[in-house]
Amino acid sequence: MRVELGEVVFGRDGFCLRGSGTFGEGIHLVSGPVGSGKSTLALLLAGLLTPDRGTVRRQDVKSVLLLLQFPEHQVTAPTVAREAASWGIAPDEVLALAELEERADDDPFHLSRGELKRLTLACAFIKCPDLLLLDEPFSSLDCETKRWVCGMIEERGSGTTIIFSHEQSVLPRVDAIWEMEDGALIGRGSVPGAISSWRHAPAYLTYALERGAQPENIRLSDAREALCRIRD
Amino acid sequence: MQDPRLRFLSIAVLSLASFLSVWGALGALVWLVVARRRTDAMLQPRVLLPLFAMVGLTALVSAWGGGNGLSYFIRMSVILLLAAWAYAATAEGEALAVAVWAFGNRAGFDIGLIAEMGLAGLGIIREEIEQVGLAMRLKGIRPGLRSIVPLALNLVITEIRRADEIARLLTVRGYTAGGVVCPRFQTSLNEILASISAFLLGLLPALLLRDVFILV
Repeated sequence: MRVELGEVVFGRDGFCLRGSGTFGEGIHLVSGPVGSGKSTLALLLAGLLTPDRGTVRRQDVKSVLLLLQFPEHQVTAPTVAREAASWGIAPDEVLALAELEERADDDPFHLSRGELKRLTLACAFIKCPDLLLLDEPFSSLDCETKRWVCGMIEERGSGTTIIFSHEQSVLPRVDAIWEMEDGALIGRGSVPGAISSWRHAPAYLTYALERGAQPENIRLSDAREALCRIRD
Repeated sequence: MQDPRLRFLSIAVLSLASFLSVWGALGALVWLVVARRRTDAMLQPRVLLPLFAMVGLTALVSAWGGGNGLSYFIRMSVILLLAAWAYAATAEGEALAVAVWAFGNRAGFDIGLIAEMGLAGLGIIREEIEQVGLAMRLKGIRPGLRSIVPLALNLVITEIRRADEIARLLTVRGYTAGGVVCPRFQTSLNEILASISAFLLGLLPALLLRDVFILV
């Protein structure tokens, strides 16, 4: 199972995205500043945009799911329970996972953005598609919920998960790091080797690297453990 | 047309002419082709085509019921084109400027503000329809009567909520009624000539009242 970008070029409103690379099975992090083209890349990988040049090939991918950055853009039903059902899954399971059982009959737009985000994330994790694309999954969430999201991502046993995020504090364990720079997709490679060349790395990783530590992954706990090892 | 006053006036007169007779509609169509600059904005065909389809459907129903469906289709299509041009060519603040120019800083400001909010709302609705379309594709929902009706209801509720939020925002900012705007307009000779010709075209069907108010 993999997704291949073959010299993709996509332009719109003066912005140009270009990139090549293969997203294999596992967890990929595409980082980069706001406006660098992460959401556009997500739409291209989901097949919702067609590149001007180049190809996006999905091999052995039977199901694709993209979670948009703004969860309210994904709402199509008048109640929370029916919104969960609109994803083609049992609402009870979703509401339990998102801890929104008591809001089942509420208007989804009466939920806070964080609650709505939790709802859409719960739907995505329960659907468990082969290719899961998460556009800024940590935005609007508190630290506790961010950690819950990281746990859910790490628990996905199979398939390809691509996280598009500029999150700098709570991150999951990942297998590969990619960066968007001025519309260009740059593959940094597999973790942990890629960590040292990651330009938009969180401050705690940069701190650890500066002190000679070699974190095994990109989580805060990995940086801490690496720092403890060199102190020992 | 740079001057929104002449643009709005021409569109109003031509819309009336189109409504009154087929000849008025054809005259308005010719006027639109000649007077509209190539650089003027216009709605995209993918936005216009569903609207034409709705007019066409109504015309068919009218013809099936014994009415003059063809006349209805021609007149409504031209009115639709004029409205599309008016919407696409109107820049932010123009409706407010024209209303204040016409009715003053109190009633004119209120009318202009409502018009501006309405125009902005149309743009937002268009974006929301696109977003809902995207959401449906992501969820694998096929467009149909069962899915369209709740979506349309959602859109209506969202718009009512947005209007309520704007009203609260205006209240918080101390708005009660009226305001101060000093509108400035640029008018060229060509625009004046175009407006006069629109006015003459508008008079034509009023003189030839053969199929006035025949809608069905």
